[in-house]
Amino acid sequence: MDLLKRLGLNKYRIDKSSHIQVNLDICRTCVEKPCIKVCPAGTYERSGDVIEVHYERCLECGAALVACPFGAISFRFPEGGVSFRYG
Amino acid sequence: MSFDADVIVVGGGLAGLSAGIVSNREGLSTLVLERGEYSGSKNVSGGRMYVHALKKLVDIQDAPLERPIVRETYLFRCGSKEVTFSFYDPDSRNSYSVLRAKFDPWLAKKAEEEGVLISYETLVYDAVREGGGVTLRTNRGDLRAKLVIEADGVTAGVSRYLGVRRLDPDFLMLGVKEVVRPEVLPEEGEAKVLVGFLNGLLGGGFVYVNKDTLSIGATVKVSSLQKEKVLAREITEDLREKMGIKGEVLEYSAHLIPYYGFDNLPPLYAPNLLVTGDAAGLLINDGFVIRGMDLAIGSGMVAGQAAKKVLESGDATKTQVYEEMLKESFVMKDMMTARRAFQLMNSERLFKTYPDLLCRVMSRMFTVEGERRRLMDVVREELAGYNLTLSQVLRDLIKVM
Repeated sequence: MDLLKRLGLNKYRIDKSSHIQVNLDICRTCVEKPCIKVCPAGTYERSGDVIEVHYERCLECGAALVACPFGAISFRFPEGGVSFRYG
Repeated sequence: MSFDADVIVVGGGLAGLSAGIVSNREGLSTLVLERGEYSGSKNVSGGRMYVHALKKLVDIQDAPLERPIVRETYLFRCGSKEVTFSFYDPDSRNSYSVLRAKFDPWLAKKAEEEGVLISYETLVYDAVREGGGVTLRTNRGDLRAKLVIEADGVTAGVSRYLGVRRLDPDFLMLGVKEVVRPEVLPEEGEAKVLVGFLNGLLGGGFVYVNKDTLSIGATVKVSSLQKEKVLAREITEDLREKMGIKGEVLEYSAHLIPYYGFDNLPPLYAPNLLVTGDAAGLLINDGFVIRGMDLAIGSGMVAGQAAKKVLESGDATKTQVYEEMLKESFVMKDMMTARRAFQLMNSERLFKTYPDLLCRVMSRMFTVEGERRRLMDVVREELAGYNLTLSQVLRDLIKVM
């Protein structure tokens, strides 16, 4: 099943602004971009030599707090965000 | 400065609710802050609870547990080969599959019935120590307490805001999970541990049988995800396919899991702060059981009692008594018992070498092509291929014994 379809099964109340910020100056110097591999929600996608953040997909697992070995990602939990019906 | 409560509990999951219930029973004015719109709405668990601690906290007769786990199955796979080990006890009632978005609201209601105040949709985004207590910055304004019980989960926000600790990918696992309504539902509660299903990632898979769904997922070391070429978002799909589970996918979720072990535990207390549950890194994997929820409940209950002692002493910065009490409880005793198993669980040998070895040895023992070798000779020969000796394997084995 497609990732976006799977994410669509959850209930979201999306905040107006992103709860995730990326320091693109640091991001530009990173070749591997491990955040793409670590995030289970596909929140981080390669866009040229930096990252585009789809914060509305976030499952709030917290992996982004350690996903970037260079400290380029600042993550804070959103006010609304995802709600699980099963958990 | 005035205080909003004696004790503010950050987090309305299992640890937080347990702490809130006990602290309230101890006669302390207690406030629980929950980020989600209901308890459990932000929680994800593999889905199995050992209920001994819960039973000590509340009457569980009407608890929304899924099924008693009566069958334990280990599945080792290497390529197309598979080794299975299964234990069945139809009378077992010591653990149940559980879905947290259903379970936690029930426990929250129990707490509220006892008079615990829970403030939902309250996000704590910073904390500072001042005026003999802690000020929590929330989306509803500042809240102050003499003592904070941290139950905000594996990411331990309060500890981080207070500068007590940092997070480390080596001690964290990522859990990914799907809840599926299968075409064929097993008749009894079962827990499956899947080894060798994750395309080289360090970790394991699981399947739990619920009342009318399955929880299927995996936990993998974050540092392993950083290194390998496997995408976290594809793990559950791949796993479901390998297990041949067909049915409607109802939910996709993810969560971090603390994987510290006794020897690497983060600080359990700081001035004006008691840390519980996942936030305190309390998880046990001794090779037979993986436990977090009963430790969350247990540590929450101890924190509630410790809060009373700390506040009675008149100095809310003197919180060490919590750790002393925790050491007397099953929580730390069991963490200590599992400490050596943890070293093994953290090694690559366990996730990669041993499953492979098991398959190769089994494969050779069940193959007859003349020139039959003894089991011990086969084991020795295969071990040599991995640069391992029998004594090393025995040392590992002793760790889980």
